[in-house]
Amino acid sequence: MRALLRREWLALKHDNWQLALVSYVPLLGFMLLWWLFSAALPRGLPVAVVDQDHSSISRMLGRTINASPVNQVIDYPNQTEAIAAMRRGEVYALVTLPVNLRRDLLLGKQPQIDVRYNGQFLLVGKLLSAQISLSLADGLHQLARVNLLSHGVPSKLVAAHMQPVTTQTTALFNVNNNYVGFLVPPILVALWQLIAMLTFANAMNRELTPGHWQQAYQQGWFKLIGAKALFYGPILLVHGQFVLALVYGYLGLPAEQLVWLLPLQLLTLLAVWLWVVLIFFLLRDSARVISFCTALFAPAFAFMGITFPTANMPLLAQWWRELMPSSHYIEAHVSLVSYGNVGLMWQHGLAMLGFLLLLLPTLALAYWHRPKADKVEALS
Amino acid sequence: MSYWRWMLTDIVTLARDRAIALTLFGGVLFYAVLYPLPYIHDVATEQSVAVVDLDNSSLSRQMIRYADASPQVKIVARAGSVDEARAMIDQNQAKGLLVIPANFRHDLLRGQQVTLSFAGDASYFLIYSAIVQGLTTAGLDVGSQLQLQGLLANGTLPAAAARQVAPVALNDVAVFNQGLGYPAYVIPGLFLLILHQTLFIGMGILGAGQWRQTGYWQQFSPLTTVCLRMASFSVIYAFLSAFYIGWCYYYYDVGRQASLGQVLLLMLPFLLATAAAGMAFSTLFVRRELPTQVMLLSSMPILFVAGFVWPLSIIPAPLVWLSQLVPAVPGMMAMLQLNQMGASWSQVLPLWLQLWGLCGLYLLLAVWGVHRRRQALAAQLAEDSEKH
Repeated sequence: MRALLRREWLALKHDNWQLALVSYVPLLGFMLLWWLFSAALPRGLPVAVVDQDHSSISRMLGRTINASPVNQVIDYPNQTEAIAAMRRGEVYALVTLPVNLRRDLLLGKQPQIDVRYNGQFLLVGKLLSAQISLSLADGLHQLARVNLLSHGVPSKLVAAHMQPVTTQTTALFNVNNNYVGFLVPPILVALWQLIAMLTFANAMNRELTPGHWQQAYQQGWFKLIGAKALFYGPILLVHGQFVLALVYGYLGLPAEQLVWLLPLQLLTLLAVWLWVVLIFFLLRDSARVISFCTALFAPAFAFMGITFPTANMPLLAQWWRELMPSSHYIEAHVSLVSYGNVGLMWQHGLAMLGFLLLLLPTLALAYWHRPKADKVEALS
Repeated sequence: MSYWRWMLTDIVTLARDRAIALTLFGGVLFYAVLYPLPYIHDVATEQSVAVVDLDNSSLSRQMIRYADASPQVKIVARAGSVDEARAMIDQNQAKGLLVIPANFRHDLLRGQQVTLSFAGDASYFLIYSAIVQGLTTAGLDVGSQLQLQGLLANGTLPAAAARQVAPVALNDVAVFNQGLGYPAYVIPGLFLLILHQTLFIGMGILGAGQWRQTGYWQQFSPLTTVCLRMASFSVIYAFLSAFYIGWCYYYYDVGRQASLGQVLLLMLPFLLATAAAGMAFSTLFVRRELPTQVMLLSSMPILFVAGFVWPLSIIPAPLVWLSQLVPAVPGMMAMLQLNQMGASWSQVLPLWLQLWGLCGLYLLLAVWGVHRRRQALAAQLAEDSEKH
């Protein structure tokens, strides 16, 4: 075994790409993706306001929209220019305060305020829609308050008159809707899974030369693959733990009992590698093994169920999702980090043992492609 | 060998190369189905919510019915206390909770303000926003009905009462992607990125396999070779793009506001710039399994830096500058503005010119790269012949 590990080490030393893949490439990738989302809370998003009324009320509403940290009001003289800016993606929402807004309000007619938000940039659009509604409601409440007081409603009852039912909303497990806490862990896990897949596929591909192929059968694939797993396992676990240290340690996102994620990451690695070994025996060509593994693992992030809920996926997508080790890992991860539920975590984590079933076709393929006796003689 | 003959040889070579064919044809077709697959139901609906009803009155039951009637919320359980509901969330049996406080009806009838509390699992933002939106709407409805009843009881006329409840009508509408569907949000940009990445991979594998051997790639000058290979890939990608931007956009009902002519005019520099960049990229490799790996790792950063997932204004500026060198980034933005958001041609002109600029830049780099590969091969051959 020691000789096999030494062999892996020598091979790694002479392969610049593989060396990069287990050292700085993942670190660079993790830091880059985190940096990209490091703003964490979208703020100062440009909103076009077209004030056609130019009254004290319309100006006040413009100010209340601007007062929200999420919105950044940009005034446009007319709708044509504002719409053009919308289409260019320079502003993400457009609020039109209509002519006679103040007059209609005073007369008790119901004026209409138009809000258009960019649904193409879904995340920003939804956020702005909610924020603009809140800001406008807040501004209008002030008006209604004055109105009610002037009609002789006692000040104590004004609030109940305006809004008999108020609501209090709590974002569980991510109190301030921090996008780093929401998006970065699953993205980094997806990247980590890709790195794990690539390093192992590269390590396996080295056995593809005719000489190595035959030697591997003499030595026994179990020992050989075991040595690779033993060699690359700790390296990748270090990267996996680095992700956790970055996100939950350095950035201080709330998390509970992170120790348990180590065995979970180990299970994920094993599941990914079982896939790689199966594809390796299926295709037996380095470029094709990589292409196929890439095709399989590249969309893993979409199937995690973090961005789009699993329950709303079609059945076929839910099945495909079960084939991805990362979707099991992330569910276990959320069970632990958010819910602090170790039992549920193990339930999701141990489901990954199902990937052991991949061994059956792998063994069959390995047996099928064994060097035939006559060929061996011809070579020797 | 004529130019046409060369291109034909090139296309046949790459079609016969199973690693390239797997990525170019298999990958593009496979991803056309697989990537949109989780999203085809468009929006998140029927999120499970547990109710803590501490009031047990007619009004609290009405509130629960209203919440359950919302398309975004499904009441799955009743809990005796907040702790019990919280335990359900920890067990993943519910994604949110609604608390109706004790004396809900009593206080409302007495004219006191009451507060409904709700919470959602913010580990999943789409679930959270669906729950909050559904419950807020239900709460507002219950509130405004009470207000209306109160006003009517005080003798206000029905028409005036309705206006008093809502003094301003808020007409809040999403544009460009009216249904706020996930496929329409992700697909336009993502599909261009898939074309971009697979083209890079195809060129990379083809080049990496050839640079160390003599072959048809040496027949013409580096400039001609680069142009011819760009042409042969552009021909293949004209078909693949037509499939993605024509058929798939239509099938998945993505916004299609630009005219055919405009889309073609945009795709021309996009494909040429991508092909030129892919050619320059391919000269960096001599191992056939590497280009796929590099492009795979770069995919997620390119997608997220493009500006439609995460707003450009809050992405660190150095990353944005750097990303402008990737043809996919101006390509995706121009396509979104032109085709999905209906911008006029003059508005996307800067991005279009940027694509041509990138095309020129990478063409030069590609020619230089091929030139160097040729020198390296000549040196290697000379060395080999000396040995013999």
